[in-house]
Amino acid sequence: MILLQLLWSFTKIGFTSFGGISMIPLILDEMSSHGWMTASEISDIVAIAEMTPGPLGLNCATFAGIRVAGILGAIAANLGVLMPTFTICAAAAFAFEKFHNNPILKKIMVGVRPVGLGLVTAVIVNLILTNYYTDGSLEWICIAIGALATVLLIKFKVSIPKIIGIAAVLGIIFLR
Amino acid sequence: MNEKKMTPLQLFLVFFKIGIFTFGGGWGIVAQMQNEFAEDRKVLAQEDLLDIVSLGRSLPGTMAGNVAYLFGFRQAGVIGGAAALIGITTPPLLVLAVITVFYSAAKDNVYFAAAMKGVRATVAPIIFSALLKLWKSAFPKPLCYAIFAVAAALSFFFKISAIYLILMGVVIGLLFGGQAEAKPAAAGPASGTAAESAKDGKEASK
Repeated sequence: MILLQLLWSFTKIGFTSFGGISMIPLILDEMSSHGWMTASEISDIVAIAEMTPGPLGLNCATFAGIRVAGILGAIAANLGVLMPTFTICAAAAFAFEKFHNNPILKKIMVGVRPVGLGLVTAVIVNLILTNYYTDGSLEWICIAIGALATVLLIKFKVSIPKIIGIAAVLGIIFLR
Repeated sequence: MNEKKMTPLQLFLVFFKIGIFTFGGGWGIVAQMQNEFAEDRKVLAQEDLLDIVSLGRSLPGTMAGNVAYLFGFRQAGVIGGAAALIGITTPPLLVLAVITVFYSAAKDNVYFAAAMKGVRATVAPIIFSALLKLWKSAFPKPLCYAIFAVAAALSFFFKISAIYLILMGVVIGLLFGGQAEAKPAAAGPASGTAAESAKDGKEASK
């Protein structure tokens, strides 16, 4: 029963949100109305979810699910968050492949692609502000790690898993 | 472009690997997909990646999950989509299950916090490297630069939701997307090249 409640709660969260931070108020509502998590636990989970790999929504689902009903709860909550992918996105994927070479879709994509790049650019600027500038001062060590990562990625084509490993080690040495 | 499609098992394994190293949300997987699918295996063109990412971002739900499904579906149908989706969601589920159990220890562990702070410093460069490679595919005509600048500004300064901005792109594309200069090109099957889409665009505008 509790599994079905989790599934339903996170299905609602999945369908009414468009990823990332936009999920937080919805998660807060659902969790507090069921008494599953407190507001301070939710702010902790947001911090942890941003540190660990994986999308924020899925990480919140895992955390809340385990807290409420163990690993099965986590799976139920994850399935809930993924429900829009199983339905809306699956339908969109089907339509997108079917009309892949349609001239009208190609016209549309001429307008959509620059928007996609615009969104990425805004995300990058936001990340720079949050990760290199905290409490009114520049984080020089983080900036140095970021600069090193940029050079390794673009100039030396180092793979992303290696970059993340190097950054974790540098963090432990210099950011402790 | 490699016409050979990936199998569901391959999709699961590659997305499992991507899932381990995805920090900073859905955009974080774009650079890894570039490495794995556009450069190493050559099963995906840069502009197709941008299409999948834009579509995945504008649908409800989790962007990374949507993008994984869209690519998996293209490679191997519904089973491929499901395999990619399970692949990308399993590592975070396992990692977070462990962290949740050791919640209080992880929360206050200085080494863990320092390592993750170091990792977060690489998220912007990783996404930036993806942006650089996507860049060429998005500007077949000058108007596209204006769309790009307006979308970036509206998203950053006014926090306009991605769905509205993508819809703006759809409308502008429908109105003005057809006049890209046509280059004579042999029409190839699948994975439309820039020249091909320009040609089709011209045909559509006749």
